[in-house]
Order: sequence, then structure tokens, then C-alpha cells
Amino acid sequence: MINTEGMVAETATKIYTDLCAREVPHEAEAGRYPQALWDALTENGLPLAWVSEANGGFGADYDETFGAIWASAQAASPVPFAETLIANWMLDRAGLAPADGSASFALSGHTPSADIPFGMHADKIVLFDEAHHEISLFDNRVAVRSPEESLSPDGMTQFIFSGHLAEQSAKTDLSRRRIEALILTVRAVQMAAAMERALGLSIDYVTQREQFGRPLSKFQAIQQQLAVAASECAAATMAATQAASAIARHADDPEQAWHEAVIAKVQIGHSVEAVTVPFHQVHGAMGYTQEYDLHHYTRRLWAWRDALGNEHHWSKRLGEALAVTSPDQVWKGVTTGDWTGGQWIAS
Amino acid sequence: MQRFNFPVVQPDPALEDLRGELQAFLKEEREAGNFRPEPECWMASADPKFSKKMGKRGWIGLTWSNQYGGHDKSALERYIVTEETLRSGAPVAAHWIADRQHAPMLIAHGTEEQKLDILPRIAAGECYFAIGLSEPGAGSDLANVKTKAEKVPEGWKINGQKIWSSGAHICHYMVALLRTSPADGRNRHVGLSQIMIDLSLPGVTIKPIVDLSGDAHFNEVYFEDVIVPDDCLLGEEGGGWKQVTGELAMERSGPERFLSSYITLETALHQLNGKMGSDSHARLGKLIASLRTLKGMSWGIANLLDRGVSPETEAALVKDLANRLENDLTQQVRAMLNDLPSEDWSPDMRRIMNIGVLRSPPNTLRGGTTEVMRGITARQLGLR
Repeated sequence: MINTEGMVAETATKIYTDLCAREVPHEAEAGRYPQALWDALTENGLPLAWVSEANGGFGADYDETFGAIWASAQAASPVPFAETLIANWMLDRAGLAPADGSASFALSGHTPSADIPFGMHADKIVLFDEAHHEISLFDNRVAVRSPEESLSPDGMTQFIFSGHLAEQSAKTDLSRRRIEALILTVRAVQMAAAMERALGLSIDYVTQREQFGRPLSKFQAIQQQLAVAASECAAATMAATQAASAIARHADDPEQAWHEAVIAKVQIGHSVEAVTVPFHQVHGAMGYTQEYDLHHYTRRLWAWRDALGNEHHWSKRLGEALAVTSPDQVWKGVTTGDWTGGQWIAS
Repeated sequence: MQRFNFPVVQPDPALEDLRGELQAFLKEEREAGNFRPEPECWMASADPKFSKKMGKRGWIGLTWSNQYGGHDKSALERYIVTEETLRSGAPVAAHWIADRQHAPMLIAHGTEEQKLDILPRIAAGECYFAIGLSEPGAGSDLANVKTKAEKVPEGWKINGQKIWSSGAHICHYMVALLRTSPADGRNRHVGLSQIMIDLSLPGVTIKPIVDLSGDAHFNEVYFEDVIVPDDCLLGEEGGGWKQVTGELAMERSGPERFLSSYITLETALHQLNGKMGSDSHARLGKLIASLRTLKGMSWGIANLLDRGVSPETEAALVKDLANRLENDLTQQVRAMLNDLPSEDWSPDMRRIMNIGVLRSPPNTLRGGTTEVMRGITARQLGLR
């Protein structure tokens, strides 16, 4: 289970309960951005949870901050809370001050362009340049932006950074794997939370909706579909929790949590189809409408499983990493979660 | 909110020492040719000689008190032992069931005399138990058991038939679910009791059932006027249904549910020796992600059980996921092995793969079918 106790998690849960009721994601999509929600998160310092005290944050435990992310995803957060947490963490790891306002992030590839979630709403963009071991902070308005057709209500925007000056830049000791470990874990927690919320919606729907003179929930075909989906949801929460716990355990070097984070992304990414299909199926056409809440979760799930590479990409990356370790090490990892053994020289 | 209760428990270094001892022993036994690894070894590979060796080393009866021949360790230590023996495909079927469920049952419900007599023999790897649940007319519909135990002056008189009793031909006892009084109208859960039966008693007949692979670990067991003493009733008269469902929860979430085929994967990893194409990388990555996740769930339940909590729904979820994974594992490994010409497969690889395929159908049946598991989950979700 994700730890939802502690000040950070409890404060976030309260804010989301008070200021992100079911109509808020609907309104946000209709263009009424929930500024009050963002302001409450900021006033309580939550986007600074992973910023060290030396840099003006409060260096909260990883663990309880994942509880805050869980709460945000269960509420279908239409503000970039998780993205700002990650962006500020990246800045902090380069010794830079946290972003003024909301932020999102990208890992640079071979081109100066990047797809950025919440790109139209985030005030700042933080970019990791792997080749130069550098973290840079851009103002959202300086880069060329083109909103894309996005799976997620949060939007995905393509940014072109070429020729634009960063507001700040600094060298970092972050490796790509360290950043991947954190981002994948955050996405895993969000996906598990959204799945569980969508399961709840589906259960409520089938117990209320009647056809053939009885509630849908009384049909065995419906029961068995949702039971399978429930098992996938439970596995998703376990995978996310194991990754979150590995990040917390290796706070000094998140790279040690890379395998557990990738495992979570692979496990949950593969489960997305296994849950969104039955959830939509049992909702009938109602679940396909904008008016109903289900799509706030299923569309985010479809976007998050693609984020930073989809489940097929990560299955392959994980398999490549494991193929060059010894079968003994693979077993040790499966049974204990300790993947830190050395490389295996295949004979 | 979080709907399911699966705690994440950090690895304990003390447990890892035990793992090392097991690994050394199992490697030595295998290299000495004392066993040939097989998938589904906890069901189908019985070797009393091997069980006695395990007993001598103190790896059976870990969880119960020294007074009864046990070793005063936790259920988590037992978990490590089962994990390592499954990984090795070692012949542990003879003692597995007694160690897993009947010894704890005797500790809870047995007389002092029974505990002193039987538990030390189980711990020594010398005394084995069979499960007596299924009958010809009672499979998934377990409450339909017809085998009767009738109160007589000497104790209980038993008549009827059990089926699919794994290992009964080498077992010393069976614990059977029997009807001790009639059902109360439509409520068939009342009037059932658990009774321990010495399989050497007159009136007991055991006949093997050969499965499609040629193995004969299944049996039919017939009872004709078999008399057992009063104290063989375990637990409450009429309380058998509740006891059995609690027991099944324990049985459904253990490592045998998702590691029974691991030997197939590990043999293939040795065989492929790192030479895999990108399809195989993807298959391996996905399999390991599932295995690691299930380990977390199963380990979480083991910790709850160790604290006296019995999470029936979580156990049903694990069994459904685990069964799907086990069957998928064998298929994924078949696909991965395409990276190697089949004439290059070692004899061991071929043998293990074939056994794995042949032994796959019962995965989704024993201990409660997939459909029954999903029914339990659905009830918990409030749908039934």
C-alpha cells in the first residue's frame, strides 16, 4: 500500500478533497483552470516537498510525498502537481532554486524538441541535457510551442528549445537512470491510483444500472470481468508501492531503485489495457461520454502508460539489462528486490 | 482510498542467510544426481528419502515449537525454504502438504497426545498427509460433500469416497471434510466437520489415477465402515466449512502458486546464456516484472498471516494472477527459446519444458478454480 500518512500526504489529501471535487476536472477541461486548487497546494509548500531545506524546500520523505501524488491522481488532478514536484527535484539536484510557479519537465533526446505534459499550463520547463550533464530552467513563453492532439486531458505540448536562452543552467550529478527511476515511479503511483478510482466508478455503476430487470452486478459475466480487473489493480498498487519503497530506501542514489521503477512501469503499463477495456465495457456507452467521469481516469492512464516510453519499450530495456546478469542475480532480484549485483560475463 | 491490503515488507538479512544455506544444499544434492529438477515439484515430485534429508536439516516444521519437534521459527522462514526448493525443482511433494497445512491444523485442534506423536514425525520428513476435500460430486461445489461420518460408541464411522487426493498412496493420514449431520435446508455449510483418518486402517482402499503425463500422484480413496476414535475430529463438530475456507486462504497465496514453473525460465536463461533477440528481451522483462510484483503480493500476505490476519480476498487475487502468470511463463519461455536452434537444447531443457507443458492444466484448477477465485473477489467487491 502507498503510504498516505504523514503531513505531506495528509495535507494534499485534504486539499484535493476540498478543492478538487468531481466537477473540477470537468470545468478545467472546459477552460476554467482551478487556480484555487493550485494556490492551496503552493501556499502549503507542497510542490517543494522534494526540494532540500538548503534550497528553500522542506526535504520531505519520498515515501509520504508519494501518498500526496496518490491523492492527486485519485482526484484526476487538472493541475501539474506531480510534474512540478519532479521539475523542482531536478532543479534541486543541480543546486538551482525551485521554479517560481508551476513547472513541467523533459529529458532531452537527439533533437532540441520535446513533448511536455501540461505544457500549456506550466509556468516553467525544466530540461535535462544528458550529453552535457546539465539542468536548465526555461520560461514557458520563450520556447516555440505547438499543442498536440493529446491522449490526456492535461495536454501534451511539443516544445522547440533551439536558440532559446535558459533562465538558469547548472551542472548536475543526476544520471539519466536516476531521473528515469523517479519519473517512472511517479507515473506508476499515478496509474495505480487512477486505476483504483476507475474500478470504484465501475463497481458503483454496475450496482446501480439495471438491465433485464436486475442490476448489472448480478450477472456473472460482469462479476468475472471486474474481478480480473480488480486483480490487475491490486498488482498495480503493489508494483507502484515496491518502486516507491525502493526510491525511499535509496534516497541518496535513486539509480539503485531503477529496476524496481522499471518493473512498476512494465507491470502497470501492461495492465492498463486489461483494466480500461472492462471498465469501459461494463459502463456501456455512458462511459464513453464527456459528461461521465470515467474518461478523466482512462485517458490519463492511456497517456501515462506512454510517458517516457511505453510498456513495450520498458519491457525490452529491462530484459536487456537482465540478459547480461547471471540467473542467480535475476533470482535474487525477483525474491528480494535487490538488483544491485554486478554484470555477468556470459561464458 | 486503497481497496486492498498488501503491505510492502523490506527484506530481512537474517532470512537471506537461511536462503544461502538452502541454495548450497540444493546445489549439492542436484549435482550429486540425487534429484532431477522438475516444474510443479511440490505436487508431483515426491521422494521420501529427500524429505528425510530436509527434515534432518531442520527445514520442515520450522514454524512450530521445539516441544513437538519443530524449530520455533516464523512463517517467513518457512517461506524462504519453500521458495528455494521450488526454484530448484526439488522433490518436496511428500512432506509439502503436511508441513503447510496439516501440522498447523493439528497444533490448533489436535490433542496433546496427537501433537506429541505426529508433529515430530512430520518435522522429520517421515509422516505425510493428504487433503480430503474433493469428491466425485463435489469439485468447485465443495459443500456438496456426501462422505459421511456417523457417531458410534467407538468414535466415528466413515463411509464414502474422496478423489484427487494427491500423494494419498504414500501418505499416512488424510484430513477429510465429512458430513457429520444433515444440511439445514438450503444451508449446506452446516453439519460439515474435519476428521483425521489413519490411512492404514481397515476399510480404506486407495486407487491411483494416472494423469495425462503418465504421473500417478492422484488417487481415489474409498472408506467402508472405517472407524476412527473421537479425538480424530479436528476443531468443532459442524465447524468444518469455516475451518476449510480459512485454510484455503493460506494455501492460495504461497510461492508454489507462481514459482512452480520458475525452473523452466531459469533453465532457459542458462541455456540462452545471454544470447537473446529483442523480442526475447521484451518477454523476459515482462515476465520478471510480473514475478517480482507477485512476490511482493504473496510476501505481503505471508506477513499478514504471520501476524494472525487471514486475508481471504487478497489470497484469491494472488491465486488468479499467479495462475495466469504460470501458464504464460511456460509459453513465453517457449517463444524465447526460438533464439536457439532446437537441436542445441540440452536434454534437461527439453525434459523440463515438456513436463512444464504437460503439468500446466491443473494450475488453474487445484486449490479453487479460476472461476471460483473470481467469484470470491466479486463478492468482496460487493457485486454478489
